[in-house]
Amino acid sequence: MNKFIAKSESSIKLLNIAQMSSSLPVNILIIGSKGVGKKILAQNILPDASIFDAKTLEDTLIAKTANIEEYLEIIVTNIEQVVNKKEFLERLPNIKVVATTTYLPQEIEASFAVKLDIPPLQERKEDLDELIKIYLQEVKDIYEIKINSEDIEIDLSSNGVSLKKSIFKNSILKSLKDEDMYYSLEQFILNKLREEYNYKDLLEYFEVPLLKAAKKEFKSQLQMANKLQINRITLRKKLEQYSSKLEN
Amino acid sequence: MKDFYEQLIEHDLNPYLLFDSNGKVKSYNKEAEFLLNFVSIKELFQLAVSNASLNFGFNHKYVSLKYNKQSYYAILVGYANDDEIALRLYKVVSNSTHTIKDEKLKLVNIFSLIDLSKNSTLLHSKLEIDELYDISIPEVKVNINDFLLCLNECFTIFKHKEKISLQVYIKTGEYEIINQKKCKIVALEFKSEQNLSFDKSTEKILENKALTSNANIFFDHNSLKLELPIIL
Repeated sequence: MNKFIAKSESSIKLLNIAQMSSSLPVNILIIGSKGVGKKILAQNILPDASIFDAKTLEDTLIAKTANIEEYLEIIVTNIEQVVNKKEFLERLPNIKVVATTTYLPQEIEASFAVKLDIPPLQERKEDLDELIKIYLQEVKDIYEIKINSEDIEIDLSSNGVSLKKSIFKNSILKSLKDEDMYYSLEQFILNKLREEYNYKDLLEYFEVPLLKAAKKEFKSQLQMANKLQINRITLRKKLEQYSSKLEN
Repeated sequence: MKDFYEQLIEHDLNPYLLFDSNGKVKSYNKEAEFLLNFVSIKELFQLAVSNASLNFGFNHKYVSLKYNKQSYYAILVGYANDDEIALRLYKVVSNSTHTIKDEKLKLVNIFSLIDLSKNSTLLHSKLEIDELYDISIPEVKVNINDFLLCLNECFTIFKHKEKISLQVYIKTGEYEIINQKKCKIVALEFKSEQNLSFDKSTEKILENKALTSNANIFFDHNSLKLELPIIL
């Protein structure tokens, strides 16, 4: 079981509340956007409980294909996706439910005496730093790559999920050697050729990253042309041709 | 004979008060004495004056009044001269008995529930709370789920305030008869420095939540009081 990272003030409070309510006979609702650690916190509250996806469990309950009454406590993920939320909870009497959701559905508000609202990672700086440290260590252990956190463009759009993805992706990309690059390009081009791409189409996959990198590195088109050793008019034409992709 | 009528009034279940022309109480019965714990003399005098008949005599008026736990459905105002005015309030009496099912009650430390509700409801709030707890309060049997929901609603009211005080104490001299046993009452008094305005729907929600958790709730201009019987 993963440990809920609680380094920031709000996370420490959340973990305390979770621990306080774990022994009480009340339902607990954990609210937060994707990747904030809802499921991990739920597992910290009920470490031995079975985990069910809410929508799947709803279908099972309606079809009566499982005997849910044998459980004393369960974790239900994504309860917001259940169609008849109130009915769904009524089908779980005498069971302690710890549910996760991305928002608070009004119709089930009264069914949960304890509600834990986890803020996004962006608002929990200490937790973010700790998670970056953990993921970088994982990268180091798996791929034997040592990367500094400053060299990584982190993505927090889906909190912990996108953070981990961005760290792994960045670390692997930054550690690519020439032969890795040739190999990955070869595989990529092979797939594109099967989709009937021609030489001109494929040229874009070399030119766009080249121009993006040059734009980052050099201050003016004159400097870019000089360093890349191509004609300024050709450069301008290329920049115009790929303008939409370069902006992205 | 006069003495008999006085005794009759004294033992009446409905409150009776006699005021002089300046609003001072000249006489009152036992029930009125109890009522004066919750409402000021001035307010009752105003009630009498504003509902008195135009000429000497008696005036009945059907009203809906609530002071503390007690509701009143009518008042009688009477005066025979300019020096005295009498007020009698008619209680709403219910003979329904309230029984609490024991199987849903669990023995719990009330302060841990207060802490849990406070921390989860005010997680992202900056409300400062001055806590004054009587730690001698024993573990009490409550329906944890319903009581927590009720507490959550109470804390939510103050979520955007700056500062409140929360006093938890056992009420002296007041009891509730629950399941034929005399129970002491614990009061949770949330007090704000600013005035609180409760709309009817909020009051209704809170009253329902309190009722389901076997508690009573009282609203004042700057405070909210939750009273819970101590079932051991």
